[in-house]
Amino acid sequence: MSSHASTVDPKKAELWDTHHHSHDVISTRTLGYFLYLLSDGMLFATLFAAYGVLSYQHSYFGGPTPAEFVKPWYTFAQTIALFLSVLAYGFGMNALKHKNKSGLINGMLAAFVLGVVFLVLDIHDMSHLYSMGITLASSGGMSAFMVLTQVHATHIFFGLIWILVMIAQVMTKGFTEETVGRLLTLRMFWHLQAVIWVFVYIFVYLWGYIS
Amino acid sequence: MLVDLPGGWSPLLGRLAWSQIPYANPILAPLFVAVVIGAIAIIGLITYYGKWTYLWKEWLTTVDHKKLGVMYIIIGLVMLFRGFIDGLMIRTQQVWAVGPHSSGVFGSLHGYLTPFHFGQVYSAHGLIMILLAATPLLVGFMNIIVPIQVGARDMAYPYLNALGLWITAAAAALIMISLFVGDFAHNGWFEYAPIFEMQYSPGVGVDYWIWTLQLVALGTTLGGINILATIIKMRAPGMTWGKLPIFVWASLSANVIALTSFPALQIALALVTADRYLGAHFFTAGMGGNLMLYTNLFWIWGHPEVYFVILPAFGMMSEIFPTFSEKPLFGYITMVLASMAIAGVSWLVWLHHFFTMGAGPYVNTAFSVATMLVGIPTGVKVFNWAFTMYRGRLTFNAAMLWAIGALFLLLIGGLTGMMLAIPAINYMVHNSVFVVAHFHSMLLVIVYAIFGSVLYWFPKVFGFKLDEFWAKTMFWLFSAGTALVFVPMYMLGFMGMTRRLEYVFNTGWQSYLDVMEFGIVVYTLSVLAFFILLYVSVRDHAKNRVGADAWGTSRSLEWLTHSPVPFYNFAVLPHVNERDEVAWRRQHGIDNVRPEHYDDIHMPNNTGVAIIMGGLTFVLGFALTWRIWWLCIVSLLAIIGLMIIRSFRGDPGYIITGAELQRMEEEAYRREAQIADSHHSHPVSGGVVGNAMAYQRNDSSK
Amino acid sequence: MSHGAADPTMHPEVQLSTSKGYFLGFAISAFLMLVATFLVTSHSVPPFGLLMVISVCAGIAVIAQIYFLLHIDISEHNIWNTVALVLFIPLFLITIGLTWWMFSQLYLRTMDMSVMSSAMQPAVHASATPGMAAMPGMNAHSDSGN
Repeated sequence: MSSHASTVDPKKAELWDTHHHSHDVISTRTLGYFLYLLSDGMLFATLFAAYGVLSYQHSYFGGPTPAEFVKPWYTFAQTIALFLSVLAYGFGMNALKHKNKSGLINGMLAAFVLGVVFLVLDIHDMSHLYSMGITLASSGGMSAFMVLTQVHATHIFFGLIWILVMIAQVMTKGFTEETVGRLLTLRMFWHLQAVIWVFVYIFVYLWGYIS
Repeated sequence: MLVDLPGGWSPLLGRLAWSQIPYANPILAPLFVAVVIGAIAIIGLITYYGKWTYLWKEWLTTVDHKKLGVMYIIIGLVMLFRGFIDGLMIRTQQVWAVGPHSSGVFGSLHGYLTPFHFGQVYSAHGLIMILLAATPLLVGFMNIIVPIQVGARDMAYPYLNALGLWITAAAAALIMISLFVGDFAHNGWFEYAPIFEMQYSPGVGVDYWIWTLQLVALGTTLGGINILATIIKMRAPGMTWGKLPIFVWASLSANVIALTSFPALQIALALVTADRYLGAHFFTAGMGGNLMLYTNLFWIWGHPEVYFVILPAFGMMSEIFPTFSEKPLFGYITMVLASMAIAGVSWLVWLHHFFTMGAGPYVNTAFSVATMLVGIPTGVKVFNWAFTMYRGRLTFNAAMLWAIGALFLLLIGGLTGMMLAIPAINYMVHNSVFVVAHFHSMLLVIVYAIFGSVLYWFPKVFGFKLDEFWAKTMFWLFSAGTALVFVPMYMLGFMGMTRRLEYVFNTGWQSYLDVMEFGIVVYTLSVLAFFILLYVSVRDHAKNRVGADAWGTSRSLEWLTHSPVPFYNFAVLPHVNERDEVAWRRQHGIDNVRPEHYDDIHMPNNTGVAIIMGGLTFVLGFALTWRIWWLCIVSLLAIIGLMIIRSFRGDPGYIITGAELQRMEEEAYRREAQIADSHHSHPVSGGVVGNAMAYQRNDSSK
Repeated sequence: MSHGAADPTMHPEVQLSTSKGYFLGFAISAFLMLVATFLVTSHSVPPFGLLMVISVCAGIAVIAQIYFLLHIDISEHNIWNTVALVLFIPLFLITIGLTWWMFSQLYLRTMDMSVMSSAMQPAVHASATPGMAAMPGMNAHSDSGN
């Protein structure tokens, strides 16, 4: 198959770019970051697949199962803390839209505090389990439960560090192309954690409780 | 820490101890001495020629995709050599230790390698060849070629690109150091549950394996994001999707696979880490663990991975065939669709690596049919290449020979793959050397495509051609070796020889093994031919200089740049009018039209952060392997800290003025005119790498 | 690598944030999580139906979040994100779904019959004691995949 019929007249064709086609740095950054986030989503999908295989009755080897220790309303409180944190960050981004620096920083601080609340609740939950002798070494099922939930918590932890770094950057550098780009990617990261949490909450905590 | 560690643990050194260094091993001890001498020689040479500043400024801190690509290829070639030596060791052990009367030396009952050491050799061979040789080689080519083929100045994220390279280098360093400190995993390159658990593999081998793989996975994921963003966002004006060079399409589909599948590997490894480090029970025999879950998770990555490595190879073939048939690629659209189809279907077939698990006829059939479906787009490609050559004006230079060789190997590997896709056959030959021969045939398709690409694109990157005679010699020796090693291997597979045998019990197989050993000797000669090729080519480089269109019949956009490619790629970004833009311009006599006006351009700065990060990830990997917890924490904090510091500093880049660009371009055009005028006149100024590649803009010092 | 171009806060991706959108995303998902938690703790719905209901809650909540929070739509600025997500979703389903299928088939064929009836289902119907007794009335040779 020879090349498709040439519709361009070689004598008049434009050979070199004269329009100073500059590329959009911010959307290049956000696209790449979104691709990374999707690969992060695949990380969780694989963890869920592993959890699915290890959540049968025999996976708990006679030991404790989520049905015995999950407290739905406690974890619901974690859910609300996280969702509020996500909302606060969203309000912060809205302030960015209006070039409102203090509004942005307030939003980020609120997101940080609420994120810490989430983590504190999670750590308290896990240490309570530890004190009852329930660890990830208890059984295959417990390994899967712990790792899946705590991988999410670890994402939250690193996100919190990132929020602090961004607060510092916004305060010192203002709204540069790089800072704004990073705020956008952080927003995507933070909001994705809420999405993942829905799956963790429903299919790990609540489903485990039902069993 | 949470796990009982056999062999002791100290807070300062973790599990590291003098006993972990194999100074009594008759093979490793001399090797170590040789390596130390070699390292001293290299360092001495660099110091003697005063090249440290050059090395640091031009190569170790670069963010230029071409130099990073060259370094990837260098890593790949070095690791290919190491992997080859491992292969040679396997073959030699298997030809020696045949039958109960075979002799044994160096403490082993038969042959010269103990089973424990042999296990490490084949595990390292597999891991290195796929992930530290083939992958960096392919990533290196994609790095060099994709930006110039889409008409961009660099990748979307130059710093991230450098980071990916140095993380990969850290992984290579980690597996190399496992030779001399501790040992490596000895349960195959992909490991099995529960033998990789602490009770059955108490040494650090499996840990080295885990962290090497994790680093490779990280580097490849970062690289994948880079290439995808570059292709989506940074194409030159006029380059619509339908005009994208076919190698770019191949890179796109391959990196989609990389991005989607590597996370599964990272999780599989993380869960093994949880078992070995935290006492979890994901894959233990008992306590609720599930052995086959590991195999499942691993191959969810593992199968797409092999398509990740073969698609760029197909892309390379698709570039070589049209150039040396002087015809456009036959069936561009179907080629693109076939690449996408392969990428998609590759996600649905992973169970064929463990048909024998016992999932039953429904599951096995579904995956079997899906596996066979992959053959259809692959077949489309084979026919398209054949039709590209049909009635073309063929040039049988070495690059073309490698591409044609790859085509034949694809036929053999693909057909045996179809056989393996059938569970009934698979049950017979699972884990035999038939499987080994099949996947080596496929991997050799990649190796052939890589060697062909080295010959094809070397003139573009370095400005002169490689010596044809030695390239062809290497090709024929390599192909003879391939035939001699793998034809008997297929036969042995049918006869029942299992893979990974340290002792071959059936003396009736001796003659086959002898032929295979002879094949390895021939391979070694081809490696020698490769070194001679490099030497002769560098020696004669002045005679073999080329201009922009090195082959005279090139078709795609990268052949518009000068050879070697200047560090800014294009002084003025081209406006793309057609698919196979360079062929179109040449056809209409407009390939020598220069831009009228040069504007200022913006380039990223070099940075030392990337290589320091790479070093830190090596330290982290080493510390995690040996469970030196304080060092883990320190290096992790250093990595995070450096990331934060860099994000504050940013990189404003620097400007090259239009006037400077014009000056450099005119010099390049002058050089090309000299080359065109007379190939045999006095050598043109400039070293092997050419000052045009130099980061320093001030070239007049030469 | 800034080009000193236009004001970064005027970039379309910044401009498409709305308080209303974020609040809606929050409200819908929080409400659905509340419903799910309430249904689960009130024990008013039988287990299998409950599973369906909370899965639907999860599904709708996630769709709301993806639209309102992640700005996944087919506008020119977000199209590539949408394309990427749409290409990834089948892979998530394949990873989890095919794994689940092959392992449930495996258990069907290889697990000991006496523990199979309770072991076969994800620990939904089982009691706290590990599958010692086959549940009365449950056909061990159920025809899932026969």
